[in-house]
Amino acid sequence: MRGREFFLGRYAEMGRSLTGEETAPQAIRVNPLKAADGEVVEILVDEGVQLRKIPYLDHGYEVVSSGFSLGASLEYLLGLYSIQEAASQLPVQVLGPRPEDVALDMCSAPGGKTTQMAAYMVNCGVLYAVDSSRDRLYAVENSLERCGVTNCLVYHGDAAEIELGVTFTKILLDAPCSGNYATDPEWFSVRTLRDVEANAARQRRLLARALELLEPGGRLLYSTCSLEPEEDELNVQWLLETHGVDLEPLGGPGVPALTHVLGSELDPRVSRCRRLWPGGGTQGFFLVEAVKL
Amino acid sequence: MRLLRRLLRELNSTYRQEEADVVRINDKYFTLSPTLRDGLKARKGLVYAGRYLGRDRRLFQPSAPLLEALAGEPGTRKVHVGRDAAWLFACGRDLFEESVEKAEPELILGAHYLVVYGGRCVGYGRYETAGDRHIIRNLFDIGDFLRREA
Repeated sequence: MRGREFFLGRYAEMGRSLTGEETAPQAIRVNPLKAADGEVVEILVDEGVQLRKIPYLDHGYEVVSSGFSLGASLEYLLGLYSIQEAASQLPVQVLGPRPEDVALDMCSAPGGKTTQMAAYMVNCGVLYAVDSSRDRLYAVENSLERCGVTNCLVYHGDAAEIELGVTFTKILLDAPCSGNYATDPEWFSVRTLRDVEANAARQRRLLARALELLEPGGRLLYSTCSLEPEEDELNVQWLLETHGVDLEPLGGPGVPALTHVLGSELDPRVSRCRRLWPGGGTQGFFLVEAVKL
Repeated sequence: MRLLRRLLRELNSTYRQEEADVVRINDKYFTLSPTLRDGLKARKGLVYAGRYLGRDRRLFQPSAPLLEALAGEPGTRKVHVGRDAAWLFACGRDLFEESVEKAEPELILGAHYLVVYGGRCVGYGRYETAGDRHIIRNLFDIGDFLRREA
């Protein structure tokens, strides 16, 4: 079970008619550890970049047009901003780690959300970052250095098994997922339902571990950039059935998550999660904030 | 640490780091805040910790946060440049003396200087003669972020 027709058919069954041609605009996030929004916007506008503030993001700007690669400018190298798609700026903003938190980024690479967490923590507290790919951790290290992050301990290991000797007040699990076609033109030709199911199983392992590592009252932000309900609503249903958690109602862009999906009726609390379909200025995305009871 | 101390001397920096407070991971050096030090319960798998200072190469390769800290010191040797010169320097080019808008203190042949644009450090180099011109020879610049990932 694969291919454009199959997946677009599933989305239609879920109540969303999509063309399969939707894309995600480029966006940047200003790094408040290094500069104020106004300064960065002024410099980039002077250089001919057209930016539009994204109203629901604290430091996010859509790139309307640019005559040069924003990933190779002086200001980028100085760490004044990062390139980060709009929806992917939401998880950390919703989780809102603070200086007094002991926070964990479970699947850190390539590091955009890790640096964002450090910024919300104002480089205070302790931020742990883990990733299972040593190669991808080099990108995390570079991002931390470039963005001036100084409150982070980075580990190479499988987040589902790693022992750090601490429990956490806030955990971000932006899980490895099947992705979506809005950011990958080859998506329809490479993804199968079997991949989706394998990713969903891996995500449940990570979710279970996250709940073990979280203090009572602690918050877990789980997100994916997958549109597939196995990795989104159905994993949240599993979480509610197997763990002592409640869900925070989320607002902002997107729509409430589905509670009737693929023939299953889900816990009504699942609608507190947020689902972003591609085409509304973002890629496809899903996020849930769970509180450990 | 020997190469780091040498770099600090060359830039006339007063920055001092007690060796006992430095965490070494392979060839990289880091310092940790007391909070971070308390939080460091596991060493297995640790690849990066706290404030990155730089790494041992033939010369010490300073980190961007260390360069930024050094640029903030009043006594370090530095040259101030405009945006175009800063960009060329970040692309790995040497800096012609004519591009230097201000030097602190005066330029001395053989001395090392941080290259600063708008209060932010883009690298460092050595003031040298090249043919009939004087240049800041590029020894390290922040364009390294792109070269590392290439």
